[in-house]
Amino acid sequence: MTKSLKWIIVFLTPATLIFLFVYAIPIAILFSTSFTEWSIGLAPRFIGIKNYIDLVTKDSDFIKASINTGLWILLQSTIHVALGVLCALILARKKFYWKFTRTVYMLPNIVSSAALGMMFLMFFNPTFGAVNSFIRLIGDKNFGHNWFLSSNTAFFTVTLIWLPFAAHITILVLAEMSSIPASILEAAYIDGAGEFQTSVRIVLPLMHRIIGTSTLLAATSMLQKLDVIMMTTSGGPGNTTLNLPMYVYETALRNNDFGRANTAGVYMIIIGLVVVKAINWIYRMDKSYI
Amino acid sequence: MGGSFGLPQVPKFKNYITAFKLAPLAKFYLNSIIVAVSATVLNTSLLSMAAYVLARTDFKAKNFFRMMFAVGLLIPGASLLQPLYMTIKQAGLYDNLLSLIIVYIGFGLPTTIYVLSSYFSTIPRELEESAYIDGSGFFGTFLKIIVPVAKPAFGTAAVLEFLLCWNEFQFALTLTTGNKNRTIPLALYYFKSQYASDYGAMFAATVLVTIPSIIVYILLQEQVVSGLTAGAVKG
Repeated sequence: MTKSLKWIIVFLTPATLIFLFVYAIPIAILFSTSFTEWSIGLAPRFIGIKNYIDLVTKDSDFIKASINTGLWILLQSTIHVALGVLCALILARKKFYWKFTRTVYMLPNIVSSAALGMMFLMFFNPTFGAVNSFIRLIGDKNFGHNWFLSSNTAFFTVTLIWLPFAAHITILVLAEMSSIPASILEAAYIDGAGEFQTSVRIVLPLMHRIIGTSTLLAATSMLQKLDVIMMTTSGGPGNTTLNLPMYVYETALRNNDFGRANTAGVYMIIIGLVVVKAINWIYRMDKSYI
Repeated sequence: MGGSFGLPQVPKFKNYITAFKLAPLAKFYLNSIIVAVSATVLNTSLLSMAAYVLARTDFKAKNFFRMMFAVGLLIPGASLLQPLYMTIKQAGLYDNLLSLIIVYIGFGLPTTIYVLSSYFSTIPRELEESAYIDGSGFFGTFLKIIVPVAKPAFGTAAVLEFLLCWNEFQFALTLTTGNKNRTIPLALYYFKSQYASDYGAMFAATVLVTIPSIIVYILLQEQVVSGLTAGAVKG
């Protein structure tokens, strides 16, 4: 017994050390310094919850970043998830193209987001991008709209870089669908349910747990999108496409306002937890993956 | 008109040569390979031990450790930007490939432990018992019985970790400076900020960044797909 306990300790040590270094110590720094005024070269000075209040009352960039992040979470957990599920319902019929489609659809999720951002930057380039060239070809000869830099289309254009690519969800839902017993689908068929009815009344309700998990993954991924924003708009024009990761980056590494950046980090964690709780509640997932 | 839609008349490799001349792409590539390969090997080998203990043994603090490792799933990486930067600096690892390796092992920790321990718990216990009867020790059993049987799960964890390392951007940008220790996704940022007018070279660089991920995914996609689903679908 003691011998196996010794082995347990040995086996847990590397993972625990990595956890301490990458998560535990930074989280401790994050929480403790979120209550301080702290910028580069100076020692942190305790100021209570002043940062927390200032961010939500005075800092218009932070407020805008939170609203944008919230909006993106909402879009991602509805439209994005719906697209992924729809695609799974279509591919589940296993027509000749299904494996090819599944692979191609997955590629934007596999390549570096920085590269994806770069491709969209070119795609929407005002002078030679494919989008504007096409518009010039079919109509307006002088069309030169700058999709990323004009404030009424920037948000939409950035959203397009992640909203349509829901192959992760498609794969999760497809796998869960293959575990539906054939007898259930046969029973529906015998009772005269068409393909559409079977999908909506039988398959989707059986999928609610995996759709819940997918929604969790999709929603929380919106708290990670720094690379795409940095490659395309850097949060601009103004702060129309600013999100929380970009706000933290700007505040910590450009303005060197560490205290405030870490308070924003704590807010991000809180938003993440609230989103996870809410989705768990909506999909009635008592025991979920996250 | 319509030049964006047609194929070029003559394929040219000039842009690739320019791309390599403008940015230290070869250096970035080499760094990426070093970081991704070492982080993947260390991630799967070190964390598989913890995953095994969580899946197969009973001890008092087991649930505590399980919860602890899952914390990583709830923390958005970007929120730890400044604290992690601080920790790395204090440890004297700033602008060092080792810091990227350690951080990426950590970011892959929740997924790897999850994928491996769910696979380990499906292995029949009889296999280990017969190994013990044959006189094999704890470590020997793990290494000679469990690891070979769990090869598919190791494959999945490794592919996911490799893609994470190859594509990661924000910490690669934050934890390094200059050109000595930067990884390949940053090459794009480099082009964007410094050679924004040379589109041909910029595209060549984009292709060079994405190709390895695409190859790894297409070759090993069954691995990735089964791994993603094995983790989430079980319920």
